[in-house]
Amino acid sequence: MLGVLSRRLGLTLGMLFGLVVITFLITNVAPADPAALAAGPDATPDMVATIRHEYGLDKPLPIQFLRYVGDLARGRLGHSVVTGHAVTTDLARFLPASLELVLLAMVFAVVVGVPVGMAAAVRRNRAFDHLVRILAVSGMALPEFWVGLLLLLVFSGWLGWLPTGGQLSVATAPPAPITGMVLLDALLEGRFAVFAEALRHAILPAFVLSLPALAAVVRVNRAEMIEVLQSDYVTAARAHGVAPSRIVGVLALKNAMLPTLAMIGLRFGWMLGSTVLVETVFDWPGIGLYAVDSAVAGDFKPVMGATLAIGVLFMLANLLVDIAYGWLDPRVRTASS
Amino acid sequence: MRRRDLLLTGSAAMIGLRPRPAAAFVREGDRKTLVFSGNQPVPVLDPHVKYDYSTRMMQQSIYDALAKYVDNPARVIPWLAKNWETSADGLTWTFHLVETAKFHNGDPVDAEAVRYSFERGLKLNKGVAWMLKDDLDPSGIVAVDAHTVRMQLRRVFPGFLSFVPWWFIVNPKQVTAHQANDDYGQQWLAVNEAGSGPFSIRRWDPQAVMDLAAVADYWKGWPEGEQKRPGGVIYRVIREPAPRKAALQRGEVDMVTDMTPQDYDQLAKTAGIKVSSNPGMTPFTIMLNTQHGPTSDVNFRKALAYATDYNAFLQIENGAARLLDSPIPAGMFGHIAVPDMPRQDVAKALEYLAKTQWPKGGVTLEYAYVAGLEVERQIGLAMLNALQKLDITVNVTAVPWPTLVARGLKAETAPAMIAVYVTPVSTDPDVVASQYTSSAAGSYWGMHHLQDPELDKMVAAARIEPDQAKRKTQYAAIQDRIVADQPAIFGMVEDRRWAMRDYVQGFDFCPVRLTGEVDFYPMWIAAS
Repeated sequence: MLGVLSRRLGLTLGMLFGLVVITFLITNVAPADPAALAAGPDATPDMVATIRHEYGLDKPLPIQFLRYVGDLARGRLGHSVVTGHAVTTDLARFLPASLELVLLAMVFAVVVGVPVGMAAAVRRNRAFDHLVRILAVSGMALPEFWVGLLLLLVFSGWLGWLPTGGQLSVATAPPAPITGMVLLDALLEGRFAVFAEALRHAILPAFVLSLPALAAVVRVNRAEMIEVLQSDYVTAARAHGVAPSRIVGVLALKNAMLPTLAMIGLRFGWMLGSTVLVETVFDWPGIGLYAVDSAVAGDFKPVMGATLAIGVLFMLANLLVDIAYGWLDPRVRTASS
Repeated sequence: MRRRDLLLTGSAAMIGLRPRPAAAFVREGDRKTLVFSGNQPVPVLDPHVKYDYSTRMMQQSIYDALAKYVDNPARVIPWLAKNWETSADGLTWTFHLVETAKFHNGDPVDAEAVRYSFERGLKLNKGVAWMLKDDLDPSGIVAVDAHTVRMQLRRVFPGFLSFVPWWFIVNPKQVTAHQANDDYGQQWLAVNEAGSGPFSIRRWDPQAVMDLAAVADYWKGWPEGEQKRPGGVIYRVIREPAPRKAALQRGEVDMVTDMTPQDYDQLAKTAGIKVSSNPGMTPFTIMLNTQHGPTSDVNFRKALAYATDYNAFLQIENGAARLLDSPIPAGMFGHIAVPDMPRQDVAKALEYLAKTQWPKGGVTLEYAYVAGLEVERQIGLAMLNALQKLDITVNVTAVPWPTLVARGLKAETAPAMIAVYVTPVSTDPDVVASQYTSSAAGSYWGMHHLQDPELDKMVAAARIEPDQAKRKTQYAAIQDRIVADQPAIFGMVEDRRWAMRDYVQGFDFCPVRLTGEVDFYPMWIAAS
């Protein structure tokens, strides 16, 4: 197990360095001039030069890269050219909002996806199964940006059931930032009305963000359940008169959940990436919106910081899944030793 | 529970979720707070570092300047300065300050604060600095006494006063107290305020919302009276137009900007909502690359200008626009309707085309527009259609703004046609005329890269001419000259529109403000 862990950690660090190199190159080969954009549309060339010098953008690219890596080693991600804020401070401020949304979406995807996948497997090739498969394919295929706008129009614009965006209404003072997650902070402060309001604001974005993961969980869980339900030990359990609900809900589900677990880990990273679209549609003040606003302004350090943060969380999630996989499945431990 | 009962219970629960129709404005005791929504966040507040419409709207609310733009046609009125005078040679400007003005922390707004603010803006060399840095040196600003400031210009600049409203006054005591590494308090002032304006910050989440409280004892008082004055103003960022429109309709916000022409027309027909439509001053032009490719030939540029279907522009705007009859928009000093301004005339376009290397067309031109701007995209399609008559193919390409500017700044990489809006920040015609000089290359409004030494001389001379009558004649000649050079297809000026609930009162349109920008100071809510 220790071998698996050390190999995975080494691989993660390597990938992290690759990510640093790629994000730096991508942001720097883009034709936009961050100093010019930060200086404003009317700025004269010497005003642009002032900003370029202030942020070290007048240095050769290799020097800029070495400085960036050096800063990273000291836990610094540079400063925004537009606001002058430290990127680490901004990330600490915006990341909790994204994590809150992703966790909500993930809980929804698992709580709904696993039982639906099970039910579809048990009712294989019947109307319910066909419907689930169609919805699952749609969930993966439909662009989140489009679905988000559509749901906003229906549930906010036409029906007026849910708010049009943000984490809270403008008149509500947010809870003190203990964790940075509004829902959790509202509970910790005992402000239950604020919690309810925050939950109403989170319903649509969390649902939209969950759709691809929900579809994936349903599909994987359904396929695994079908396979497991045909295995010998399930046939034997049936022959011994074990209750069908126990066979499906306990014996089969336990084995079918292993690939689903891996899927959840992968989808966690994808979801963090998808916050870029969903947070823009719903004006959710998280890391995705921060990245979009910065990209539009040509402000590269925040874009690189957000990309790195999402990448690191993605890798960590996968690492945790690998460890959990090894813990749950003895064959993985045996193979590694 | 039967399945039908379950469905009925579920439906009832959903209906229960529906909020009761609420008043859009926020109540604070007997005061009402106006909620405004736009598409753009407010990333930094420092008035000497950055301005765009949302940022300036907040800066204007929090800070005061020596003078202020109001009304339509725009006029500059005294604000922190109660009056001013210029020397006979036009080089010295003396501003006399009101004695009652005070910052939000109670410090008086005195001459030293004005001197420090102008010095700070010039030395930081960011944001508003470009407006005055060629004409005013920090050493030329002197606090004569507590309420008198003298500014000595390097050269005569009749347009000087037209830029003064953009220079907000900060409290030097607060700023210097938070200075770090000789940064003139930039880090602190990016997220804090040191102003004397009608509002102060109550809450600010740069990505989502800015909540301003009205200053109860604002030194200038409130135009609507103490009884009616608002409790504050909230700026809420909603990036997509569809949810912004929904927010207005369902009562989450009181006023919105930056909607599509179709949305405004639809909202105008909605009960309880009114749309304010005003002739703007932001020219939309299609800049032509005057240095590379077919558009480097003035005859080719003339052919494009005469082939353009200008009426299509107005149709795209649902009629809420006016065609440009000059590079300088109507309402600005010196504007004339240029007699030879091209309008669609295909025969004339073909005549001009015959004088070029491409008499029968057969070339492909790129029309680049800012990704996401639907009006610009539709105009691109109109150009594609119109230029077919000259056998010219148009590639309509959506380009993100940063990339478009980066490409456009170099003549070698600038697309043949670039769709651009340029908002003048002053009523002085120099601000537009100088966009067509060779010194404009390197700025987004100079992406045509026009090189006309004679025009350069004309603009330089008009800029410093103190005799207004003579200046008017000079600008008439400049407008003719620019149109003769045809560095752009001069399109239209869109109406500036805002949709608001019918109880929103006191809205004052001024065309010199940035597109979408609103002055909250005179506004209030007339509803119980």
